[in-house]
Order: sequence, then C-alpha cells, then structure tokens
Amino acid sequence: MAFDADRRRELREMFTAFAASRDEGLRATLIEAHLGLAEYLARRFSNRGEPLDDLVQVASTGLIKAVDRFEPERGLEFSTYATHTIVGELKRHFRDKGWAIRVPRRMQELHLRLTTLVSTLNQDLGRSPTVAEIAQAAGVSEEEVLEAMEAGQAYRFTSLDAPSPGEDSGTLASSIGDEDEKMVDVEHRVALSPLIAKLPARQQTILHLRFFEGLTQSEIATQLGISQMHVSRLLARSLAQLRQDATDEP
Amino acid sequence: MSDEVQLVMPADPEFLRLARVTAMGLASRLSFTIDEIDDLRIAIDELVFGLIGTAGRPGRVTMRYALQDAGLEVRGTGSFEDGAATPGLTELSELILDAVADEHSLEPDGPNPTFRLLKRRSEA
Repeated sequence: MAFDADRRRELREMFTAFAASRDEGLRATLIEAHLGLAEYLARRFSNRGEPLDDLVQVASTGLIKAVDRFEPERGLEFSTYATHTIVGELKRHFRDKGWAIRVPRRMQELHLRLTTLVSTLNQDLGRSPTVAEIAQAAGVSEEEVLEAMEAGQAYRFTSLDAPSPGEDSGTLASSIGDEDEKMVDVEHRVALSPLIAKLPARQQTILHLRFFEGLTQSEIATQLGISQMHVSRLLARSLAQLRQDATDEP
Repeated sequence: MSDEVQLVMPADPEFLRLARVTAMGLASRLSFTIDEIDDLRIAIDELVFGLIGTAGRPGRVTMRYALQDAGLEVRGTGSFEDGAATPGLTELSELILDAVADEHSLEPDGPNPTFRLLKRRSEA
C-alpha cells in the first residue's frame, strides 16, 4: 500500500485540515483512503482460524481509531501510526476472544473444514444438512461435528467488540457504499431498536433477514455470499452483543 | 416416543453451554438440520437468559428435554435463592423466539419460573 508523493502530500494536508476541523466528510475520505492498509494487515492475521471478513472489520475499527487519534503535527507518517494501532486492535481481538486458548486447535481446524463442507452439502442437497450427513461427509463422529459447531461460537463477548457510537455505523459505511448497509432499508432501520443500530452493518442485515424477514441461515448465507457457519457465528455474536448492551444500559 | 433427558445446572451463564450442547446432541438424534439446530441454540439462550438474567443469579435451573416424534420440547424451571424478580423476555427476545421456535412461553412469576420451547423437525 504505497501512495505516490503527490497523494501523500494531499493526504497529509487532509489530516492537518481534519485535525483542525474534525469534518465528517474528511474523516470518511481519510478512512476510505486507508482501507487497503486495514485489509492488508487483516490478511497477515488470517491464518489463525478467524474468517478474513471478521478480521477486516476489526482492522477497520483500528483504522478509524487511528484516523481519529492521529496528530499530524508530530511528524510521524500516518501509515506507521495506523499500522501500530490496527495491529494492536487485531492482537487484542485474538486475545479477548481467547479462541486460540480455549478451543483446541483440532476443533478450530475441524470448524474451518466444516464451514466449506456445509456450504457444499447445502448445494448438493438443496437444503441445510443434518449433523449425521456432515459427520459422514467429513469422516468424523457426530459428537465431533457438534463440538466443532459449538467451538465456532466460542466468542466471549467483550466491550471491545462494541463499536462506539459513530465508529462503525453511518459515516464509513455510507461513504464507501457498503452493500449490506443498503439492504437494511430505511423503514426498517427506524423500527430497529437503537441497540441493533449500533451493530456493524452486516450484522444488522443478518438480524434483519433472520428475525424480521424470516429467512433461514442457509438462505441468508446464499444471499450474502458467505457460509452458513459464518452467518451462525455472526448471529450468535450479535445476540451476545445486544444482550451485553442491554445490560449496560442504565 | 417420548424419552426425557434432565440437566440440573447452576443459574449461571457459564453453564449455558451445557444446556445448548445437550439440546444440540438430542436434536441431532432427531435428524434436525444444522439450521434448525442453530435456531434451537439461539432459542435456549434467549429463554434461559430470560430466567437467570445476563449476570446469572444464585440457584439452579432444571432443564428437561423431551424427544418427541414431532421434535424436541425443552422446559426450564428455575429454583432461585435471591427472591428477585425474574427478568422475563424483552420485546426483542420475543421477536427472536417467534423466528426460531415453533412454540415458546415463559412464566416469570411464582417461586419456580418456567419456560417451554418446542422446536419441530422439518419434513425432510
């Protein structure tokens, strides 16, 4: 992710202007200009058993923090500063999830293998597969399949997951034309609880499709082009987050 | 056919996983699809949290899983020592349960608040 000298100067000027004005439009432009960096860094962590989509989202949160906190007058390059912040966010993500510690590696691997397998079976059968069918196709026991499914939910929700207001909502998503964002139409947005509105756009979309539109997880997976098990994970995480947020409310 | 499995667990979210895994194992015996199993898992979370609250409370919850021809019926009964009001279901929980369960109810009043959940097996 390298910018030419003109672009770098332009961005530096924008950072200076943003530091003075805190203009939302500038903020969105600066975030958007560096999304490539967030994705690049997310990929560096993608061999640890977490879906890349999730990591990109975590890295983007780090990027937004970096844009908000960067002080151009200190003379540091933004990319240096942001890399530090984004990597910190990614590391914290893994640490807080405790995934690597609490879920045996064997189960992480099986979980990842099943993610693909379930999608294939879904297509072949034209419906969601049973545990027995998955076990047979994977050559493992039904108990192992169940354990791997549960392992996928091994996210312990922490407040760090919660985007603070304005972080992962409107500005960034609308400025980069997020498809998910468009799918949650305005009418329903209004009806959604303010807690749901705090979730990342994709999670809002999934909640909407599952609980308001009545689509199954497999149907949602097809519609969004992700795996059923990813939908399952995101749903579980959203509900845990909503529960936590509801508890935190005064 | 109506076999029953019982699980008595502390009214603490740490143990919720056991309630879920038991349901998943039984649902698997009934040839539920994994979409249905995930629904079941979500439903159990919502209902148990409706009894014990997000922080848990002193006491225990007895889960009864009845394997029926039509599907799986789950009942949870609280036995609490704090004398506090049972949280019950929020509007959002109700909405979620409408989507994931075939039948559900939660009776928060009295010394032994109880929920009931029915998840039918789809016609394969």
